[in-house]
Amino acid sequence: MNILQAIGRATLNAGTAIWDVFALFFNTLYWLLFAPFIGKFIGRRYIFQQMVFAGVQSILIVFFVTLFIGIVLAMQGAYQLDKLGAVRFVAALISVSMCREMGPVLIALVVAGRVGSAIAAELGTMKVTEQIEALETMALNPVRFLVVPRFLALLVMLPALTIMGDLVGMFGGYLVGVYNLKISPGLYIKTNFEFLVAKDVMTGLFKSVVFAIIIAIIGCYQGLNTKGGAEGVGRSTTLSVVISFILIILADAILTGIFYFANV
Amino acid sequence: MTDKMETVIKIENLVKAFDGRRVLDDVSLEVYKSETLVIVGGSGCGKSTLLRHIIGQLRPDSGKIQLFGEDITRLKENQMDRLKKRFGMLFQSAALFDSLTVEENIALPLREHTKLDEHIIKIMVKMKLNQVGLRGFGHLMPSQLSGGMRKRVGLARAIALDPEIIFYDEPSAGLDPVVTAVVDKLIRDLGGALSITSVVVTHDMNSVFRIADRIVMLYKGKVLQIGTKDEIRNSKNEYIQQFINGTIEGPMQFFAPDEGYLEELTK
Amino acid sequence: MVVKDRKVGDAIVLEVEGEINFNSSPDFRKAFLKVLDSKAQKAVINLAGVAYVDSSGLATLVEAHQKIKSIGGKLKLASLSPKVKSLFEITKLEKLFEIYATEDDALKSA
Repeated sequence: MNILQAIGRATLNAGTAIWDVFALFFNTLYWLLFAPFIGKFIGRRYIFQQMVFAGVQSILIVFFVTLFIGIVLAMQGAYQLDKLGAVRFVAALISVSMCREMGPVLIALVVAGRVGSAIAAELGTMKVTEQIEALETMALNPVRFLVVPRFLALLVMLPALTIMGDLVGMFGGYLVGVYNLKISPGLYIKTNFEFLVAKDVMTGLFKSVVFAIIIAIIGCYQGLNTKGGAEGVGRSTTLSVVISFILIILADAILTGIFYFANV
Repeated sequence: MTDKMETVIKIENLVKAFDGRRVLDDVSLEVYKSETLVIVGGSGCGKSTLLRHIIGQLRPDSGKIQLFGEDITRLKENQMDRLKKRFGMLFQSAALFDSLTVEENIALPLREHTKLDEHIIKIMVKMKLNQVGLRGFGHLMPSQLSGGMRKRVGLARAIALDPEIIFYDEPSAGLDPVVTAVVDKLIRDLGGALSITSVVVTHDMNSVFRIADRIVMLYKGKVLQIGTKDEIRNSKNEYIQQFINGTIEGPMQFFAPDEGYLEELTK
Repeated sequence: MVVKDRKVGDAIVLEVEGEINFNSSPDFRKAFLKVLDSKAQKAVINLAGVAYVDSSGLATLVEAHQKIKSIGGKLKLASLSPKVKSLFEITKLEKLFEIYATEDDALKSA
C-alpha cells in the first residue's frame, strides 16, 4: 500500500511539474508574441546581453567539440569504409551525419551544460535572495523580464551555433581526409557536398530549435522554482542539466523517428 | 497619530495554513493613513507570512484583505499590478538586482512604469539616493555595498514611484545597532515628512519603540494585542512581557522539560 | 493638469493648474521645452493652481532650471501653496530655485 501511495504521489508530482513546464512555455510565448502589441516591449539590451552569453561566448567550446567529433568520425568512418574500398565517401558520411544528427545534438548538450545550468543557477539565486519576489511586487513580470530574453537568445543562437558546428565538423573530417587518408582536397570537398541535401540541414536546424526551447524552458523553470538557499540553487542547477539532457535525447529520438517515417 | 484615521489596509479574519499547520489564525487588523504600524513577534509567528498576504504574494485560505479599499483576494493579476505601483517594499535581504548598478536598480520601476524622459529619471534617481543619504554611490554594483547600504538602496528603489505605503520586512536584520538606527530614522523621516504609511515587520524591540505609532503583537499566528507603544509596554499579557523583556522564563517555552531526559539517554 | 503660457514683457509665464505627477510631468516638460524654443531669457512658473508636486514633477522643474540656465536665462517660481513649498524644503530644493510669493514679484525681480 505504501509503495502504491508513493508511486501515486510521485506520478501526481511529476504531472504537476510537466503541467507547470508547459504553462511556463505558453506564458513565455504569450509575452514574446503578444506583449509587444500592448506596449510592453522586451528590453533589447537584456536580449543582447543574453545572446552574447549564450551564443558568442559558446563559440570556442562548440568549435573544439565539433572539430574533434569531425576528426573522430572521419577516422571511424575510414576504418569501416576502407574495407569496402570507398574511403572517399568519408566526406559524405561526415557532412550528412553532422548536419542531421551529431551537430544539433552534441551542440545542444554542450549548451545545456554551459548555458542551461547558468540560467538555472542565476534565476535560482535571484529566487532565494528575494529578487524574483521584488520584481513581482514592482508589478514587473518575471517571465517577461527574465525568461523571454533567455528564451529568445537561445532560440536564435543555438541554430546559429549548430550551423557553425556543422561546418567545423566537416573541416575536422577534411583534415583527416586530406592529410591522413590522402584524398585530394577538391575531391573531398566535392564528395562532402555531393550527398548533402537541403533537408539534411533543415531537419538538423529544426531539431536545434526544439532543443533550444527545451534548454531555455527547463533552465528557467528549475531556476524560478528553486527552494531553500544555496543548496537549493545547486540542486536546481544539476536538475536543469540532467533533465535537459534526457529531454534532448528523447526529443531527438522522436524527431528522428518522425523524419524517418515521414520520409523527410 | 492622525486626526482623520482613514483606513488604508483592512484585514479581516485572515486564515492561512501550510501542510495543515495554521500559520495565520483569524488575524484582523487595520492600518491607518500615514501611521507607522509595526508587526512584532518571534521567529515563525507568521509575521512575514502576513506581510506576503498584504502585498498579494500569497493567497489566504479564508478572510479578506482590503488594500486602498479593494479586496485584493478577488483581484485579477492586472488589477493587482495597478495597486502594486502604489506601494513599495523593502525586502529583508534588500533584494537588489545583482546584474544592475545601484542607479539602474532605482531607475527600473521608473523606466518600466512611467513615460518619463531619461533625463528626468536620472535626476530622480539622484534625488532618491540623496533621500537615503547615498549620493554618489549610483555607479556601484550591489555586490560592492555593505549590508546597510544595500538596505538603503533597496529603500530608495521602494520609494521610486512615490508610494503611499511602504512595507518593511525585518529592516534591521543583519545590521549593527548604529546602522539600524540610521534605517529607523529613514523610516521615521519618510513617514513624517511625506506622510507615507509604513508597515514594518520586525522582532527588534529597540527599533519597535523608536519607530512605531501602533504595535501589533503576533504569537503563533494569532494577534495577542494591538495598541500604542505605552499600551504594549504596560500590557498585562505575559507573552508580551516576556517578548519585550527578552527573558527565558515565561509562558513561551524554549527548552524541552527535564522529565524523561535521563530515561531517553539510558534507553 | 493644464498649462497655459503667456508673454509678459520679455518674460514668459507658465500657469499650471492641477497636480504635477507621474502622469502629467511629461506634458509639463513639453510645455516648458516650448518656452525654451522661443529663446525667452526669463521664465516664471506660476504654481498657484498646483496642489501637489510629486518627485517626477520636482525632477522636471530641476531639469527646467538646468536647461534655462544653460542658455543664460532665468527660471522663477511663484505662488507656491504651503504644501508645495514644504515639499521643496523637505527635498532641499528651495535653495536651488528663486521662489517668489506672487507672480508680480517674480516678474519685477531681475
